[in-house]
Amino acid sequence: MCPQKRRRTRVRVLLLIFELGQGDTMPEIAIQTHKLTRTFGNLTAVEAIDLQVAAGQFFGFLGPNGAGKSTTIKMLTGLLAPSAGSMQLLGLDFAANPVEVKRQIGVVPEGMGLFERLTGTEYLHFVGRMYGLDRPTTQRRSEELLEFMQLADRPKTMIADYSHGMQKKLALAAAVIHGPRILFLDEPFEGVDALAAGALKALLGRMTERGTTIFLTSHVLEIVERLCSHVAIIHKGRLVAQGSLDELRAGVSGSEGSQTTLEQIFLSIVGQEGAERPQLEELSWLM
Amino acid sequence: MRFTGIGEQIRLVAGLRWRILRNSLRKKNNRLDLIGLIFTGVFSGMFVLGLCFAFYMGAYFFLSKGRGSGIALLFWAIFLFWQVIPVFVAGFGANFEFRTLLRFPLSLGAFYVIGLAYGLADFPAIASLCWLLSITIGATVAAPGVLPAMLLIVTVFVLFNVTLERLISSWLEKLLSRRRTREIFLGLFVLSMISLNFVTPLLQRHGAEARPVFLHLFPYFAWFPPSLAGRAIAAVSQLQPAGFLLAMGSLSLYVLLLSALLWRRYAAQYHGEELSETAAPARAVVRMASREEEPTDGLRVLSPHVAAVVRKEFRYLTRNSFAFLALLVPPLLVLLFTSQFAGRHPTVSGKAISAEMFFPGMMAYLILILMAPAYNSFAYEGRGIQTYFTAPLLFRDIFLGKNLILVSVLTLEIAFSMAMLAWRVGLPSPPRLLATLAAIVFTIVGQLTVSNWSSLSFPRKLEFGQMRGQRQSGMAVLVAFGSQILTGGISAVILLAGRWVGNPWLPAEAFAFLAAAALGGYVASLDVLTQLAEKKKEVLIEALCR
Repeated sequence: MCPQKRRRTRVRVLLLIFELGQGDTMPEIAIQTHKLTRTFGNLTAVEAIDLQVAAGQFFGFLGPNGAGKSTTIKMLTGLLAPSAGSMQLLGLDFAANPVEVKRQIGVVPEGMGLFERLTGTEYLHFVGRMYGLDRPTTQRRSEELLEFMQLADRPKTMIADYSHGMQKKLALAAAVIHGPRILFLDEPFEGVDALAAGALKALLGRMTERGTTIFLTSHVLEIVERLCSHVAIIHKGRLVAQGSLDELRAGVSGSEGSQTTLEQIFLSIVGQEGAERPQLEELSWLM
Repeated sequence: MRFTGIGEQIRLVAGLRWRILRNSLRKKNNRLDLIGLIFTGVFSGMFVLGLCFAFYMGAYFFLSKGRGSGIALLFWAIFLFWQVIPVFVAGFGANFEFRTLLRFPLSLGAFYVIGLAYGLADFPAIASLCWLLSITIGATVAAPGVLPAMLLIVTVFVLFNVTLERLISSWLEKLLSRRRTREIFLGLFVLSMISLNFVTPLLQRHGAEARPVFLHLFPYFAWFPPSLAGRAIAAVSQLQPAGFLLAMGSLSLYVLLLSALLWRRYAAQYHGEELSETAAPARAVVRMASREEEPTDGLRVLSPHVAAVVRKEFRYLTRNSFAFLALLVPPLLVLLFTSQFAGRHPTVSGKAISAEMFFPGMMAYLILILMAPAYNSFAYEGRGIQTYFTAPLLFRDIFLGKNLILVSVLTLEIAFSMAMLAWRVGLPSPPRLLATLAAIVFTIVGQLTVSNWSSLSFPRKLEFGQMRGQRQSGMAVLVAFGSQILTGGISAVILLAGRWVGNPWLPAEAFAFLAAAALGGYVASLDVLTQLAEKKKEVLIEALCR
């Protein structure tokens, strides 16, 4: 396909998704949790967190390894039942209206959740139908999304034979095929090449402009800093910070906050005390 | 920094293999494996030691009676065991990859030697070495003068076997590195195992005709390595140096040829042979949405969710080459059992079993086999199971889709098997035929409810195209067994009751009633199972996303 045509297709996909995001009037709060808790035996993975994400926000959810990010995202997407607390998505109580809530959200879960024995096209058809799209719509959107994600040149390849980055792009395509109003992305850019990552960032940015809420976890703080307007930080299962980037900067550095990077904020909040920092002196033989 | 020698590297690799085994047994779930391993070890030890005695006696007998060439039979037995068993044991799955050693600083020569040493550490090789030692001792006791030649022959024979085994393993690794080939290979392997059952009936019927052909081919076997090893020993015992030199020379030629081939294979691996099947980007195929014809929807009577699951399940079935080839098993079994127990020439019993008994019995057996996978129906979902829980649907739709595909496959299989039975044995009387058909509906639908519950409660992930490490959950197997015994027991009681009261139509009526009840129970169970799926989702996801 010529570059001009490809650009046109991409724009069409963008428009399609924005159109879907615009639908009804969005409630002000897209995600709200109250004392959301999850325990595994004696371990409290997530402890009474109160999250609040406004509609249309690009929201970054950060934390060190094992802090409880994935557990939280699993609870918010219905993959894990909370041990205590409640959550509302788009004004609907998840526990009372699971199907209605799921209809309005899109998810790229940890591990991507793909059926590896289908081809990319077949998987998108399957997901589209599962979200209640009719066949022609599913077919049209699948083709446009595959084109946008640069996966259309492998129509007969099974997902099992995709590279990690291709699988990630397909999982993203599947998450947006029904035009979700909230999009949950667990490490969406991990393994995605720079070219596709750039296009994806643009797409996600435009989606939020049109009212879609994006809830994203990532270990790459530069990406979060560039994309997200609001951030929450979880540490050892507890929510230790939440707010806009400016608010967090101000909280950490006072009036000089405008120069503070997200990495500095993160390290200062999560607490890299000397006792926790690995001692480089111990590896003197390597230097 | 000092460089590690080949001997030290072999020792390190042996230690690594031992630690991998030991650590795998430290897992809580693998305690039973440890017990199994101890039992297997004891039985394997008894097997090897018992045969050591047999090989000793065999070698002693042949040499003491002046029939040295007979020792070739012993070499043939060892050769077959050494070459065939590793294919069975290691051909189908996750194993310690010898090639991973390539990341360490090894020369090609060291890699080759470690590869050979690695081959000598497998059970078939160790057992074979024990037996060759027994043969050597037996031959030496019978004729002490053959010891030096015997040691030389056995050494070359060991080198031949280990090289060939490594070469076959290496080719197999290359062949099985592709998913599709692996699955087809596994399916063909299982089918060939089943087909072995036809050997006895075929030999009984056509053995006499085939005998001259075998006898005609027999002399050519003299030029194969096990026969050459036997001929070399016979020549030594009969003091024929020319015969010994010819046999040993030929055997050495085999070793040289195989060594060259193995060197070539290892060199390819050493230089970074790529076995991964992730293909390079293909040329873009332009597919315009507007030109695509909208396919007709043959499943429009179903809800979109159920239709989507049915399509997905069908694709999974056609892409699981093993499961697909396994669909050939029921007709094969019908053919096998009819040739053994029924029809005009039963090979096992003198008197053929009547169609009245054979037909329901065969159908019951087929259902027993075909329903077994339903008790762990999420086995191949993998991480895709998450999609079922994030999508806006009720789990009843998933079960309906999965069960519909299963019932369709069962219907097809049973219809085909019935046609074969009608051809081979004939159909039973109408009352028995209808009773069997109603009983089939009752047992299948009745078991579907239980198997759906079992799939939610005892999930176990299985990999496509792998045999090794593929075990069903013990509880799922127990549930399947209990459920099948129950439905089978009920069916047997009804059939006997019909005979007892002398009413041939009674079983058909009773089974029709039970089938209707099972269907009602199935429909009622779907909502309960939907609630259960919500409760069990974490167990399911955890078990299948590993």
